[in-house]
Amino acid sequence: MDGMSIKLTRRETVLGLSASAVLLAQTPNPPLPSNPDEELKAVRDQIQQNLQQLDKVQMPMSTEPAAHFKA
Amino acid sequence: MASIPDDIFFASITEINQKLKAKEFSAVELTHAFCDRLERFGPGYNALALSLRQPALRAAKDVDGDIKRERFRGPVQGIPFGAKDLLAYEKHPTTWGAKPYAGQVFDYTATTLKKLGKNGGILTGKLAMVELAGGPSYRYASASLTGPGLNPWDRTRWSGGSSSGSAIAVAAGLVTFALGSETSGSILTPASFCGITGLRPTYGLVSRYGAMALSWTLDKIGPLCHSAEDCGLVLHEIAGADAEDPTSAGKSFYYAPAFARTLKEIKVGFAPVDFDEWAEPAARADFAKALDTIRSLGVQVTEAKLPDFPYGPVIGTIVSAEGATIFESLIKSGKVNELADQRQIAGLKAGLEIPAKDYLKAMRIRSLIQQAFRDLLADIDVLIAPSRLTPAPKITQPLDRPASDRPTPKERGLTALIPAGNLAGLPALSLPCGFADGMPMSIQLVGRPFSENTLLSIGKAFQERTDWHKRRPVVGGG
Repeated sequence: MDGMSIKLTRRETVLGLSASAVLLAQTPNPPLPSNPDEELKAVRDQIQQNLQQLDKVQMPMSTEPAAHFKA
Repeated sequence: MASIPDDIFFASITEINQKLKAKEFSAVELTHAFCDRLERFGPGYNALALSLRQPALRAAKDVDGDIKRERFRGPVQGIPFGAKDLLAYEKHPTTWGAKPYAGQVFDYTATTLKKLGKNGGILTGKLAMVELAGGPSYRYASASLTGPGLNPWDRTRWSGGSSSGSAIAVAAGLVTFALGSETSGSILTPASFCGITGLRPTYGLVSRYGAMALSWTLDKIGPLCHSAEDCGLVLHEIAGADAEDPTSAGKSFYYAPAFARTLKEIKVGFAPVDFDEWAEPAARADFAKALDTIRSLGVQVTEAKLPDFPYGPVIGTIVSAEGATIFESLIKSGKVNELADQRQIAGLKAGLEIPAKDYLKAMRIRSLIQQAFRDLLADIDVLIAPSRLTPAPKITQPLDRPASDRPTPKERGLTALIPAGNLAGLPALSLPCGFADGMPMSIQLVGRPFSENTLLSIGKAFQERTDWHKRRPVVGGG
């Protein structure tokens, strides 16, 4: 991670964190898909739900992707 | 020909290596015995992808020659091991656990296998895995060319995945150690479910050259063993810079427990809610004892909380987008439909539809996660949590359904440590710590990048005070 080029103040990080959602609420399980089309729809729905969670994370415009990834 | 005592099948790397040097048995005799066992019991657990008896015996003969001339090459010399079938082994099938790749043969060998072979490790077999290392997702344990990985502790339960055969083979004493891979949980989960010790190295420490890619930015190769000590010895052999792997960190690893930080200098963080509320009730007593044992090592213990991020959606988006890109030709050719798991097929197809902006958003959040972990681990050296909250599920249970209907605790604790640790590229060590419903349970230790020696020193000390890692299933029964 030493090689990361993002510049975030601690306050900016905290703002980003506090805006992100935690999925704790239990929701009833939908029935299992019974054919490939239903399965594809279920996966697409899951991806959309994931993307909605990502949208809730606020971050400074200066945040760069972890493309130069070095642990 | 010397007969091999049963205990040898569960012995440590050091013990076996010493007996080879003392000529209690030869490497050829040992290899014959392990190959017999792997071929006899491996298929019954759906753990064996390919026996490599003939090349293994040739390598063992070379080892015997070296030992006779007192050319000692290190602790893995003469030790039979297995490799997850996503690692290329020259001129032999490498199936990636998936029907569309059943006839695949490479003309090169993975760096990790080359390194082990160079120092006398004996590759006795390729081990089964979940197809395409799980891809974006899968619903059933049966998502594999070889069928569901059956747990040696109870064949009606899953071994965990995606390094299923690797964990089974070690737990059942079919190999002394095995290589697996982890994108998000594929070493820690089967290690926990099968009651063995598993190490996920820091991202970039071990070369991925010759390994199937599922996610370029997340994949790691690591060992599954009988003990933390063995994990250290194997990591010592396979770690290091590799010009063939563009994501190699260029760092070496020297297993040096004698020079590790003293335990009283180490601060360990945990979340009580993980152990008191999230964990399977039947496992809580053993988890509590494990925490007591950790405290008894003299480490400083404090409470910790994970930074608040949607780890699951972030890692899901990254693996879906990268995995679908990697397997684009499989998807577009229609051969994707030959995979065993409908969820896997759908996940790969849908992954191609993820817009670049959303993949990049996930990777930007990942930057925040890395930053947050740097802050967290500036004060705490090691995080500790249950490896898995529940024991291995039944092989028929849908894996995307909750394992229990218990109410969800209000605090999240460190329950997302597997996706979080993978997103941050952190090393992790899974240690057996008890049983629930007759099935093994484990704790995981997670540390800073390249802090494997710290994790291993705690693991070694923990295993000097406990014997969970020495428990054995009844092999071949049922």
